[in-house]
Amino acid sequence: MQIEIPKDNWQGSVNTVTLGATPEEGGTRTRTVTIGGQQTLPFLHFEQTPPNRPVIALEITAARPGDWSPVLLDAWGDAIDDPGNWAGACESAGADLIVLSLGLTEADGRSADPESAVRATKSTLGGTGLPLIVLGPGQAELDNDFVIAVADATKGERLVLGLCEDSNYRTIVAAAMANDHLVVGRTPMDVNLAKQLNILITDMGLPLDRIVMDPTTGALGYGIEYGYSVMERLRIAALQGDAMTQLPLLVNPGAEAWKTKEAKVGEGVPDSWGKWEERASNWETVTAVALIEAGADIVVLRHPDSVTRVRNALDELMAVG
Amino acid sequence: MSRYIATRAIRGANGLVAEAEAMVSSAILDQGPDTPVAFPNTAYYLPVALGMTGIEVETLGQLSDVVAHARRLLHPVPADHQWTPYLGETLDSGMATLLAAETIEAIRYIDGRQPEVMPGFDLAGGSAFTSPDTDAVAEESPNGHLNGAIDDIQLRSWGIQLVDGRMPGFAAIVGCAKSNEVAVQIVRELQRRNILCFLSGNVNGRSIIHQLIEEGVELGYDTYTVPFGTDTISAIYALGFATRSALTFGGLKGGQGREILLYNKDRVFAFVLALGEVDDLKYAAAAGAINFGFPVIADTVIPQILPTGVTTYEHVVSMPFNEIDGVDDLERAERLVQKCIEVRGVKVHIADVPVPVPYGSAFEGEVVRKADMRVEFGGKQSRAFEYLRMAELDKVTDGKIEVVGPDFSEIEPEGHMDLGIVVDVAGRQMEKDFEPVLERQIHYFVNGASGIQHIGQRDIAWIRLSTKATDAGFRLEGFGKILHARFHADFGAIVDKVQVTLVTDPPMLTELLNEARVAYDFRNKRLEDLTDTAVDVFYSCTLCQSFAPNHVCIVSPERLGLCGAYNWLDCKASFNINPTGPNQPIKLGRSVDSIKGYWEGTNEYAKIGSHGVVDEVAMYSIMENPMTACGCFECIVMLIPEANGVMVVSREDTSMTPAGMTFSTLAGLAGGGIQTPGVMGVGKFYLASPKFISADGGFKRVVWMSSFLKDSMSDELKVVADLAGDPALIDRIADERLVTTVEELLPWLEEHEHPALTMEAIL
Repeated sequence: MQIEIPKDNWQGSVNTVTLGATPEEGGTRTRTVTIGGQQTLPFLHFEQTPPNRPVIALEITAARPGDWSPVLLDAWGDAIDDPGNWAGACESAGADLIVLSLGLTEADGRSADPESAVRATKSTLGGTGLPLIVLGPGQAELDNDFVIAVADATKGERLVLGLCEDSNYRTIVAAAMANDHLVVGRTPMDVNLAKQLNILITDMGLPLDRIVMDPTTGALGYGIEYGYSVMERLRIAALQGDAMTQLPLLVNPGAEAWKTKEAKVGEGVPDSWGKWEERASNWETVTAVALIEAGADIVVLRHPDSVTRVRNALDELMAVG
Repeated sequence: MSRYIATRAIRGANGLVAEAEAMVSSAILDQGPDTPVAFPNTAYYLPVALGMTGIEVETLGQLSDVVAHARRLLHPVPADHQWTPYLGETLDSGMATLLAAETIEAIRYIDGRQPEVMPGFDLAGGSAFTSPDTDAVAEESPNGHLNGAIDDIQLRSWGIQLVDGRMPGFAAIVGCAKSNEVAVQIVRELQRRNILCFLSGNVNGRSIIHQLIEEGVELGYDTYTVPFGTDTISAIYALGFATRSALTFGGLKGGQGREILLYNKDRVFAFVLALGEVDDLKYAAAAGAINFGFPVIADTVIPQILPTGVTTYEHVVSMPFNEIDGVDDLERAERLVQKCIEVRGVKVHIADVPVPVPYGSAFEGEVVRKADMRVEFGGKQSRAFEYLRMAELDKVTDGKIEVVGPDFSEIEPEGHMDLGIVVDVAGRQMEKDFEPVLERQIHYFVNGASGIQHIGQRDIAWIRLSTKATDAGFRLEGFGKILHARFHADFGAIVDKVQVTLVTDPPMLTELLNEARVAYDFRNKRLEDLTDTAVDVFYSCTLCQSFAPNHVCIVSPERLGLCGAYNWLDCKASFNINPTGPNQPIKLGRSVDSIKGYWEGTNEYAKIGSHGVVDEVAMYSIMENPMTACGCFECIVMLIPEANGVMVVSREDTSMTPAGMTFSTLAGLAGGGIQTPGVMGVGKFYLASPKFISADGGFKRVVWMSSFLKDSMSDELKVVADLAGDPALIDRIADERLVTTVEELLPWLEEHEHPALTMEAIL
């Protein structure tokens, strides 16, 4: 019997956003990454062939991270001591994008400053041809100081700068506007707060095709349902035509999954939990894939194996039939 | 439009354009049309020319095009008998002046006459300009010149601060102050507020730049005080800066003149302060600035242009220096700066609350016990009141805190005294209706200080100061400092000026208390008069959508939010403070059904706000399309079909209800943003509203209600009963002390002759 699959006919679509700029476009990247453009809920191929694949970013830090799991440190080895090398390793591991997290301290223990932030960014850009997202250390004043310096030193690269939050977004947005960059805004798992931040950022005059939003999420077993539901609602609102929710979504399954006990703890857990390395990467992978199905356009991961696994899942999701 | 200003500006423009034309011709003749022309270190060519005309000037020859453009903007000087030179002509002439001025400065850069030479002068923080002759000289030596144009690096650095709000705006100061002392005071007042100062111009050869240099004030990028040049023409650099801000941060391109001007009007909070006599050229340049939405404030007698339009508020304001109120020139200078800020609508930021005790919301719930108390105001032994009133902008001195009467130093420990806190606020966006909304904040603001306890409001306020707080140096002025800082920080969108008076002087206290009581009565009356039919907008409230994604409250004057925390006035104020926030106006539009409470606007909003889950909402019915609820309602109203009425259960009531469910079970039915006819979550004061389920018969439908409501709202309910024409109505309503089942309820209602039994069938 022939079954007719009902099709939704949405009014709206997700904004198309391009990250990075090649030398012809005023940057130095070997390639750019384009996300967004969907006119349907994720992977409903019978409604629309997805115009762009969701992309996988790997997170690196400006100086060796003090609080990362030994599983991650082992996986990356010595590359971790230099953002340029690390970024290169990420590219080899199959990442589409790099996220550089600027910290509060440098490798030698001194306090990080705008100059060291610029150094780390330049080194990363030197080590990879992939587009780059640069995030401040998460303290409003330092975020602003670092991001201004980085934005100024990399004019034209179309970096994504962050994090914009409702209490601190103006300086980062201004720095992005002055230097042809993009921004990412984060709000704590709430549709209206996400919308409001988008309104505030666009009110400053930054065009919508230069903003991505991070609605925040939790790891598998640690609030992923809440995050999933917020993303789903944002995406439905976007498809219904609400311009302030039509931004591509970026989420951090890596950072979230590696906070969980299942990923962090190697000893004193039941044998049935299985091999630590395997379990941790699985946790990250499953979290990421679930969020991709909720509509994530960028997932930020930490472990190289997870990249391969998520990519395999993505290949299946993108295959028609 | 002042004909006088128009005439002089047009005359000034004609003169300057002619001068620019002459200079261009002679420069081309002397040096050839291909001679390069540029301001130092900028990618924006000659910025005003680029922005307004799109011409990317790189050579002398192109300057002819710029002056030709300026020439086309000129108008003849109006004849004496002609009375119609209006704003348009003047603004055009202003723009022509700017193009001519920029042309002249560009040629002077070729000649080495810009930046202006000032022997012995040293710029703080360097400048864009490095003279080829001074390259060899050691860096320590004075630069010997003024700043000239601002370079792109500095533009981006300051631009980011202007865009992100750390820097509220810039002042283009032109001319010469009354005295050196006044010049310093003006600049200090502006610097104190983080406002960038651009200096130029002179009066009879003396410039504010000379005045500041003589007084040893450091000028340059580092001190946010930039000396452009000692003639009026150099003021063009301020507008070049403004134009480049729009190009850099507004994403605009050269030639988008109109957009660039609007960008500046809306986003760059700049103004022109003309010191001393205003000549034709200054009028012309000022007219140029007005194009950008920058108003002009003069400290001399000139005709004013008060109507608004091109600028946000007044265009030209005259504030003759010697007529300004003030004990001395320094205070007059301060007032002058204050006026400038007001006219441009620059918002002032105050980062910290300047009191000698820790301050923060963590201290809000703090209790000061009698033993730890230094002094109390109000309570049983004394009286205290707080009264916030709106005043005209020029009647309020921002930051002024005055104590009238004795301090508490003479009061014995643990003693008491009378206190009146009177707050005068003024603001362009302030409305009389916001007075009570702001006044209620005094409670939270004062409580934020460690060691201070605040209870109540209006004339039943009760404040205790702990010994610890007074030992740390907290005095009565502290209340004023807290209120001034917090009103600016939290309500800056509607409040421009805050002045606080703390009164302990008995006669004055009595007088002000009487005035306050009249105001309280007036406000009560105003609330009573504020009906749904008296307004044409309601407000949405989506604060709870994080919990109930599809729920939306519609708040009307006669139906407050179901949480009880937001009434219509609160929503209105909230919208003014945060226009992108959770309270948005809903234009009612056409009334669809005035009995059930349907409007086109509310229905449309219900659909959007609920993301398509709810199609329509009836404001006044529980039976048809009732309003949804999140979960934070104060009461649940639910149909009791057997009794032909409804019951009202309050959140405080944990006992069983005639519906066979307790509050917490019922809450599951009422909440979650679902429309369930017969069940509704409401704020308790809605019960006392004439619009309480008025489509279904109103308050007379209530057959059972939690005793908590009967007790806590007895005054309000008495009014409702009287209005219903049955003073004993409340006694006819059952509660959990009397009946807890439907079986018991019916006979009880019959016995007490409840009106619902004889009303038309609710179903």
